[in-house]
Amino acid sequence: MTEKIKVVSVLPDLLGTYGDSGNAIVASRRLALRGYEPELVTAVLGEAVPADGDFYLIGGGEDGPQAKAAQLLNADAALEAALDRGAALLAVCAGFQILGESFIGPDMNPTTGIGVFACKTHRFDGPRSVGELVTAPTPGIDGVPELTGYENHQGVTELLEGTIPLGMVLVGKGNNCGKRIDGAVSGKAIGTYMHGPVLARNPALCDYFLSLVVGKLEPLEDVRLERAHAKLYEERIKEAYKLR
Amino acid sequence: MKRRFLTLHVNAAITISRIASWWVRKLGMGDGAALPGRILLWLRPGAITELSRGLPAVLISGTNAKTTTTALAREALAGSFQVISNDTGANMESGLAYALTRCGGVCSGKALGIFEVDEAYLPLIGRQLETKIVALLNLSRDQLDRVSETRLTSAKWRAYFQANKDVKVVANCDDPLVVYAANGASNILWISAGINFFQDARSCPECGGEIHFTTSDWRCICGFERPLPDIEVFENEVEADGRRIKVDLALPGRCNVSNAAVALGICQVLGVDLASAVRRMSYVSEVAGRYRRLSVDGRTVRMLLSKNPAGWLEVLDIVRDDRSVVVAINAQVADGRDPSWLWDVPFEFLQGKEVVASGERAFDLSVRLHYAGVEHSVIKDPIDAVKSCVSSELSFVGNYTSFQELRKRIDSSQNPRLARLHRLGDRISL
Repeated sequence: MTEKIKVVSVLPDLLGTYGDSGNAIVASRRLALRGYEPELVTAVLGEAVPADGDFYLIGGGEDGPQAKAAQLLNADAALEAALDRGAALLAVCAGFQILGESFIGPDMNPTTGIGVFACKTHRFDGPRSVGELVTAPTPGIDGVPELTGYENHQGVTELLEGTIPLGMVLVGKGNNCGKRIDGAVSGKAIGTYMHGPVLARNPALCDYFLSLVVGKLEPLEDVRLERAHAKLYEERIKEAYKLR
Repeated sequence: MKRRFLTLHVNAAITISRIASWWVRKLGMGDGAALPGRILLWLRPGAITELSRGLPAVLISGTNAKTTTTALAREALAGSFQVISNDTGANMESGLAYALTRCGGVCSGKALGIFEVDEAYLPLIGRQLETKIVALLNLSRDQLDRVSETRLTSAKWRAYFQANKDVKVVANCDDPLVVYAANGASNILWISAGINFFQDARSCPECGGEIHFTTSDWRCICGFERPLPDIEVFENEVEADGRRIKVDLALPGRCNVSNAAVALGICQVLGVDLASAVRRMSYVSEVAGRYRRLSVDGRTVRMLLSKNPAGWLEVLDIVRDDRSVVVAINAQVADGRDPSWLWDVPFEFLQGKEVVASGERAFDLSVRLHYAGVEHSVIKDPIDAVKSCVSSELSFVGNYTSFQELRKRIDSSQNPRLARLHRLGDRISL
């Protein structure tokens, strides 16, 4: 019997502006190729976020929809219940910001976040952070090489005492808080500023997440797919260092 | 014909920019409008206002189909007006400035400016011209590293209309973000020009709530809803002014009938006979190199340009029956540096065709195609990609710079003298 894995794309119509749907596509396919039976649920505006998911994905978006998403998720305990139960979560950019303790709303005032990550985001008073981002993952993110993605945001995200980042910034800005770090890790939840989409750029990070959900994973047998991933990965890392 | 007094300074600036334009074209560095326009504005910062004095202007803006709709409107109106237009797709201030050098201070009473305008520059350019009509096509995600996110653009447009109440608006009533912007105006002609990419339109720009879409309508519980159209599209007919007009275009695809409907909206506001306008539009067979068929190594290549998910939905319809498709993706400044939008395109529709992933970001595309279940090869060089195709007829779909690059390389491959000049141009560009 194959194991069913529920992948939940959270409010993609509010937070899914930067090709974020790709993360759900990549995660689902990499499960299917290993013999699991992924069920991709897109919890769009007006639909409840299921509480029984295994892997939650939330993406980036604009200020207005971001605030709306925070409001909806604050009013609904499903996501937090799932995380307490041990579900995994990937939150990117605007999605990462609202899962912190506070972020800046469209009215420029601090707005209460969901509190999955112990961090606070305010608005950077300088140019937007735009461009390639490369980080060295925090020890503990096992088997994952340097991460590559594309950032495009105005945030400064300060991690509160005890919160660990996803990676140390090698190229780009990331959290832009003066400490050369990107993202945050809290249990099986990971936040990052990396678009790309990040799981398509970093299949190793995708597999790391999936192993949090299903346990130890076999390498993929689809040689052509893995070769395509490897070519993209190598090219992006190389180009990012050139731009530095 | 009234001759307007221009200082020598402006004339000198125009002459210098024209010389620059000639060289830019000769050296294959572009269509010769953007850079010369920049030179002109550098030499004469107020040139746009100065050169457009007395010229009523129609502006066409939106994320997609600006160049094509402008071409259709230009052709439709050329029977009734002396049209001045930016016909190469250069749609920021510099492109506008250069286009205006063609009026050279000589504007007859029948002169009319028809300009496509970059969505981020619409208010800025609108204020500098004697803007009479603005046509709004659509708004969706595109070049997010450069253009602001769609809601912000919509709000900026709205504020421009609120401050410029004499501007008439011709707007697509099927796109909520366009309607939100157009509602800032008091004189609006609504066109049902369709919407194919809903992901940027699902949350209400008025209240942030959920917009409910049906096949031909949309509304939000806050009361924000689709206005009733004045002009509607039915297959290949357009209903305007209480009658149906057959639209028989040389340009392919359903999207171009919608573009023609918007152009007809402009014609209606200007009081131009719609039947003759439609007839004139049928003469347009290519637009700034798009839809043109070129010959490469014994193959016929149909050139298509697509830059973002919404544009791709139109292109997937156009290439439906093609056997071979070369897709070339670059990520230069003019393309947007971040090609993550590839994941919002349903490339699954290319399954079963001979597909070649090409361009500087061919590897991004290749990973995407793998996950879409599309068999493909990867050849970064677009000419080699075209030459690798088995079919003798194929479509080439590029985003902005990959499209321009292939056009230029095909031109120079057929003319050795041109090739030498282009190599020199490449060296200057570097």
